[in-house]
Amino acid sequence: MTSDLLTSPLHARHIALGAKMSDFGGWDMPIEYSKTGGVLKEHAAVREQVGVFDVSHLGKASVTGPGAAAFVNSVLANDLQRIEPGQAQYTLCCDDATGGVVDDLIAYLNGPEDVFLIPNAANTAEVVRRLEAAAPEGVTVRNRHREFGVLAVQGPKSAEVLAALRLPTDHDYMSFAVASFQDSPLTVCRTGYTGEHGYELVPRWDKTEALWDALLAAGEQFGIRPCGLGARDTLRTEMGYPLHGQDLSLDITPNMARAGWAVGWKKPAFWGREPLLAEREAGAKRLLRGIKAVDRAIPRAHMVVNDEAGKQIGEVTSGTFSPSLREGIGLALLDRDHTEGDTVYLDVRGKAAAFTVVKPPFVDVRTRG
Amino acid sequence: MTPEELKYTAEHEWVRAGDSDSVRVGITDYAQEQLGDIVFVQLPEVGAKITAGEPCGELESTKSVSDLYAPLTGTVTAVNGELDASPELVNSDPYGEGWIFDVEPDDASEVEALLDAKGYQATLEG
Repeated sequence: MTSDLLTSPLHARHIALGAKMSDFGGWDMPIEYSKTGGVLKEHAAVREQVGVFDVSHLGKASVTGPGAAAFVNSVLANDLQRIEPGQAQYTLCCDDATGGVVDDLIAYLNGPEDVFLIPNAANTAEVVRRLEAAAPEGVTVRNRHREFGVLAVQGPKSAEVLAALRLPTDHDYMSFAVASFQDSPLTVCRTGYTGEHGYELVPRWDKTEALWDALLAAGEQFGIRPCGLGARDTLRTEMGYPLHGQDLSLDITPNMARAGWAVGWKKPAFWGREPLLAEREAGAKRLLRGIKAVDRAIPRAHMVVNDEAGKQIGEVTSGTFSPSLREGIGLALLDRDHTEGDTVYLDVRGKAAAFTVVKPPFVDVRTRG
Repeated sequence: MTPEELKYTAEHEWVRAGDSDSVRVGITDYAQEQLGDIVFVQLPEVGAKITAGEPCGELESTKSVSDLYAPLTGTVTAVNGELDASPELVNSDPYGEGWIFDVEPDDASEVEALLDAKGYQATLEG
């Protein structure tokens, strides 16, 4: 498999495990471990026991120097003053002219002079470019994409797996601790994309393979499974978490995606403030809603959504089969007057399939448990 | 895993000829592995006329949907109703309990014209 795709530090491990690999944001990443698992088994492991995901394709960037946090707070959407050093925050990088979403990312506040960012793989270079262009004198923006790996340990047994490796587990949801692994620093964050209690570990690139091996060995007694990005997608869809490029994009604003909770509306400045405030005032024309199958059908991104009369009222942005509910679920941008409880009709390859508009999550959230 | 006694299409269906006028149809082990966990099977209807090479059903996995192609022209005589409740049989036993439908070919010689195991295997390696 020769290509221009970037590879994770665990590439050889994935191949050895018989993973089905695919291009994900320019990276050759495991979709599922079809020889031993598969999406359904991997999904169940995370809901019932524990799974470990290689998400080293995620971006990493540092913003450092005097006034670094203040600078980040003046451009990214969420209010960084809501958190303390040692905490992480979900935030958005919006386009200043349109308010469309360039990327959604997690910001880790180390201190007033040091913010670490985890953007999406495909958007990292663009986020870094925009930050660099705007950074004031003395603030340095560094793209550190291949300095660190990222492993997500997710599921009700995740704390026990980390404890077996003597890693910290008791910090609050959306906070992080810096530990040590093989004499090198390891950031342990109480974050994730699955809706379960879980951690995202950020080891140095060259320690990622050893950490993966240690997690799988320590997790064996807890039923740990390597999980691919296929299960990550079914898990996050069950939570209604948006995926950039589908449910958030340059064409889908935080107002439309109902991600206004991740915007610091009272801040004097952030990229996209004016257009987003204007849209918020006027009311977004379309809103992101959950949809759940009435008929036996699975929604897929870009399917047309119609009303009973057959008039188009929206479009599916994400859809999958929910392994937990055993039915089709998805997210769709719908004209704002179609609200929870309404029935809408998807054009599923020429046939109309009924769906109910619902409020995600589709299954219980257990991140804080 | 490509059983010797079966016939195949380049679209990854297998055909098993037996004593009756109908032949049994399913998808190959290679196909089920490529699709991943199958969660819905849209079966053709019993009595439906199907045409070789044309879609006659759908296989849906968590991440995508694929057409099921008719390997032969003929009439559907039975479908595997178990797949409604247990679509995973296509993954776990593609040549056995995961069979999909039976078809009575209009022209029995069409069966002989399908790929043999060696010919199908060659399409995978080619």
